[in-house]
Amino acid sequence: MRTCEPLLFKNRRIGETVFLEGYRKTGGYQGLEKALRDMTPAAVREEVKASGLRGRGGAGFSTGLKWSFFPSDDPGEKYLVCNGDEMEPGTFKDRQLLLADPHHLLEGVLIACYALGIGTAYIFLRDAYRQCAVNLEHAMHEAREAGLLGDNILGSGFSCEVHVHRSAGRYICGEETALLNSLEGLRPTPRSKPPFPAVKGLFGKPTALNNIETLANVPHIITGGAAWYKSLALTEKGSGTKLYGLAGHLETPCCVELPLGMPLGELVRDFGGGVWQQRSFKACLPGGASTPYLTAEHLDVALDYETLEQVGTRLGTGGVVVFDDRTCMVAATLNLLRFFARESCGWCTPCRDGLPLVCWLLERIESGQGTREDMTMLQEQLRYINGRSFCALALGAMGPVDGLLRHFAEEVEDHIRLGRCPLQT
Amino acid sequence: MPTLIIDNQTVTVPEGTNVLEAAKRLGIEIPHFCYHEALGSVGACRLCAVEFREGPVKGIQMSCMTPAKDGMVVDTGSAEVLAYRAQVIEWLMTNHPHDCPVCDEGGECQLQDMTVAGGHGIRRYTGPKRTYQNQNLGPFIVHEMNRCIQCYRCVRTYQDYCGGTDFGVLGSRQRLYFGRFSDGPLESPFAGNLVDVCPTGVLTDKTYRFKSRVWDLQEAPSICPHCSLGCAVTPGARYRQLQRRRARLNNQTNGHFICDRGRFGYGYANHPDRPRYPLVGHRRVTWQEALAAMQSKLQELGELFGSGSIGLLTSSRATLETQFLTKRWAAALGSDQLCFEAHPRRDFASRVAASQQLDRSASLEDVRNCDLAVLIGADPLSEAPMLALALRQAARRGARIVIVDPRPVVLPVAFERHAVSVDKFSQLLRGLGRPQQGDFSSSMEELGGSLANALLAAQRPLLIGGTDLLGPQGTQALQHAAKACSQPEKPCRTMFMLTGPNSFGGALLSANGPGFDSLMEGMEQGRIKALLCFEADPLADYPDRKRSRAALARLDMLAVFDCAATATVQESDFFFPTTTVEESVGTLINNEGRMQTFEQVFSAGTPLAESASGSHPPRFFTRDIPGSEPQSAWGILSALMGRSADLDALRREIEKNDHRFAGLSQLKANGEGRRIAIPSQHPESLPLNIASSIGSDQLQLLVTETLYGSELLSSLSPCLQELIPAPFVTVHPQDATRFKLEEGKKVLLGTPMGDLTLTLRIEGDMVPGVAIVPRLRGTVLEPLVPGTESLPCRIEKV
Repeated sequence: MRTCEPLLFKNRRIGETVFLEGYRKTGGYQGLEKALRDMTPAAVREEVKASGLRGRGGAGFSTGLKWSFFPSDDPGEKYLVCNGDEMEPGTFKDRQLLLADPHHLLEGVLIACYALGIGTAYIFLRDAYRQCAVNLEHAMHEAREAGLLGDNILGSGFSCEVHVHRSAGRYICGEETALLNSLEGLRPTPRSKPPFPAVKGLFGKPTALNNIETLANVPHIITGGAAWYKSLALTEKGSGTKLYGLAGHLETPCCVELPLGMPLGELVRDFGGGVWQQRSFKACLPGGASTPYLTAEHLDVALDYETLEQVGTRLGTGGVVVFDDRTCMVAATLNLLRFFARESCGWCTPCRDGLPLVCWLLERIESGQGTREDMTMLQEQLRYINGRSFCALALGAMGPVDGLLRHFAEEVEDHIRLGRCPLQT
Repeated sequence: MPTLIIDNQTVTVPEGTNVLEAAKRLGIEIPHFCYHEALGSVGACRLCAVEFREGPVKGIQMSCMTPAKDGMVVDTGSAEVLAYRAQVIEWLMTNHPHDCPVCDEGGECQLQDMTVAGGHGIRRYTGPKRTYQNQNLGPFIVHEMNRCIQCYRCVRTYQDYCGGTDFGVLGSRQRLYFGRFSDGPLESPFAGNLVDVCPTGVLTDKTYRFKSRVWDLQEAPSICPHCSLGCAVTPGARYRQLQRRRARLNNQTNGHFICDRGRFGYGYANHPDRPRYPLVGHRRVTWQEALAAMQSKLQELGELFGSGSIGLLTSSRATLETQFLTKRWAAALGSDQLCFEAHPRRDFASRVAASQQLDRSASLEDVRNCDLAVLIGADPLSEAPMLALALRQAARRGARIVIVDPRPVVLPVAFERHAVSVDKFSQLLRGLGRPQQGDFSSSMEELGGSLANALLAAQRPLLIGGTDLLGPQGTQALQHAAKACSQPEKPCRTMFMLTGPNSFGGALLSANGPGFDSLMEGMEQGRIKALLCFEADPLADYPDRKRSRAALARLDMLAVFDCAATATVQESDFFFPTTTVEESVGTLINNEGRMQTFEQVFSAGTPLAESASGSHPPRFFTRDIPGSEPQSAWGILSALMGRSADLDALRREIEKNDHRFAGLSQLKANGEGRRIAIPSQHPESLPLNIASSIGSDQLQLLVTETLYGSELLSSLSPCLQELIPAPFVTVHPQDATRFKLEEGKKVLLGTPMGDLTLTLRIEGDMVPGVAIVPRLRGTVLEPLVPGTESLPCRIEKV
């Protein structure tokens, strides 16, 4: 069984939360100290860029590259917003981190603010994560008492304020520009880009947006160095570790930190305890609900950004949801699409009206009323919704439909041919 | 200036133009819903997709969200684009009720047009549709949410453009709701614009509900007659009934929008009490009889008392053609007793306004683009509502708006308020006329000085004056101040709110002619025996009604030519019905000196009504159209002078006679109009300010225009009736305490025009020492006319 020395989960004991004392015992805040004492902000940015860290929130954009577009050295108000609106179905990694070790995020936020010349950070937290908010508030209180937060941190002259904001509880609030609107008290509809948040974001000021897990990796990059961090991954192009979520039809659903690039089959077998009830693996969502399915053919595929793109899907959030062989993939896809249709903000037509139409088509097929025409229409929906919506919600929503039509076309056809769901007996 | 190729045609557009707009310049209409010229691009409907073949972006993109760049090659109609657009329409139509046969939008529905253009013909979706409960949004707008296609134009118009706060978007996903938190009338005085911007039948005109299909309407470019701004409108009529008004685009004036007074004030044309027949001594006669009787009476009076015994009066409601021919007829009669406005102080204020350097005069477009606007004695929402909307656009672009006024002025945008009483205006204006100086003798002068400095520092400064509060002297002082605050490359523009839609024309024509005061004296002294009123109502408009009533009673002959049942009409010996703006052609000159012509929409006649008896066939036949007697005032004047009613010849004559009206004969009604270039001469003498002394137990009485109920024609419109407030008086909390008055309670207001029982309102945002009453026609406040010197009044509990 392949494992690794955990970075983010190093203090994690199920049912316990580690605060400042425990966090410091295992080297906590050494990254911040090192950055403030020994490194210029530019050097911190350089180190993060060299580490090859990619955004852990779903899109997988290079963190270093994102930071390089940020006007770090410009004077004036700028913000860091930490996206903790973890609402992707099958994803619960950020929650596990905050339940176990909230200072991890706080240190990452402070280093990022130092690197980007930012004095105010907002942690935008999913509404349901009440305990996480409590943990963070407590951690912030401790940090403030210890001189790690607020004015003149560790005597370095660097000052930073952090605010925790709990979301209104909509999936769209995790879309970075909708998040900014939500944070400003507006309707959470996405903004058009350009201007990008790095130019004009929160309250019209330059804003850096990063996921919780992404920021929590930053202290380790600073203490361990970019080269070491990069070497942690199993794949050549990968970098660092990843918090994988394991859910669905598994014996032991869990969240586990492993090197980036773990093969899917190994993950399911060694950490998920294999498919439940001795059934076989039919498919999985590799990284949350908005990523196209993988099938039993893909069990050897490494779970990394590039390797998954090669097989037509995405690493997303790393939340693997497994379906056993008795699952009807039409029904599973319908279930996912109902979620996305419900969570559309209603701004653009393809998402607001297209997704319910997809649901209707899937309902017809699943209930045995589907026709060949419905199948054609479903293919058209995939073609016209993808890439034509205002933000990425609809694109992600169509991921499962894409997977369904690519890998399970025969199963869909069977529904139409038989006039019923073939998996229902 | 990027150059790009759209559908094989090359076009160069200014930087920042999007591809949808660039295509429009080539005459290529890319289908769209959410994009609107005044509201901009938001990329919500996803209909305006085009294919980018070459250039910085590739593939299918939304044309409204893509700025035009050099090297772009765009195909607006590729097979992929067309298939995608059909899909967008299919999505939008999944929930649309398809109730076009009973929808008022039918025929001018963008969704109909786009559905046909998009090629979506057969509905494949057969599932249930989402439905909504509609709201009662008040007297103007019908709400039919089931038809909504979620383009967000309504909220962008209502909230962003118009500054309304009580209508917005609620809910999410496919359950969006565009409405209010609860039923109730829309609060914004620009709510009617929702009718124009809604691309389908969600928000339609309640006053027009089920009256006509739009293709049956008679429509023509026209001008709104309900204030001095001269907004472009398109009235629609059918069955001899004026049925609606819509905004018409004029980028120099109203832009795409109009106010609700303009939109819903049209009902005066159909008013059942509108006098439609010539009357002699209140007896209905034929035109020939009436004209002959009046002519012979005039001749008799002329022979007995000389030509100076005939007075002529017209008004700011009369067209330039009518005003010009009135002047001609006065000359033909040999009378110099001619006046263009029954309210002397307003008359001279307009004359001063028209005598300014007109290249400094500001249009509404200049207002929208200003970076500092200082308003003195101006209450835009009441006096010229679209000015308030223009100021909001300026403020949205970062302009500073300063209002100096005694009244609790409200605007649909945040502004800087200085509550200053009218008697301090002269000090303020003195300071305003002396920028960059320090030795001010009063704090008011200092405020003026600091505003003057701000105007000097601004890039596009603007001074706006309300002539009612400024009076002729104040108007003149404001012009001087504007001059002092101007630099050669940065003129401080001015805008004055005047009395009516053609105050400017009357001011140009009156030159140094007499004011109505001198006609009044003539009537009182018995020198003037006959008064001819062309669309003028001296009884209601002269500030002292007792005096005007007595003076008119002394006349041997009062002839009135009008389209509304005014107070003066009731007293007339001879009455001649005239046409409304919509029933005629003519020219109006707005408050900035913009000469605009309008076309005839329909012919006058009593609106058709279904016969009540139900018997068939109808028993009564006639070749004559009932109620079609009204004629244009200028047409009647032509007949009186024995001329043919040839409009083109008349306009050429006006042009030839007075070079200030150059270009009149070439004016097109659907254009932007033409700014008068040469100002009129400054009036030689102005009526003196007579300030009444106010006792310590008294308040200053300030009568002001109000949004609904002040302007004559719109106040006759049935659908505006319910918005006309009950008579009230507003005082400052200090005065309420002083006189032990309570909000909402009845008070007795003792005025020189009599004692009035009114409801009390208390407002903190006004000056103390003043009692403010609105002008409300047809109520106990009727005799109180705005635009006068301040008068003393008493106030006490009932």
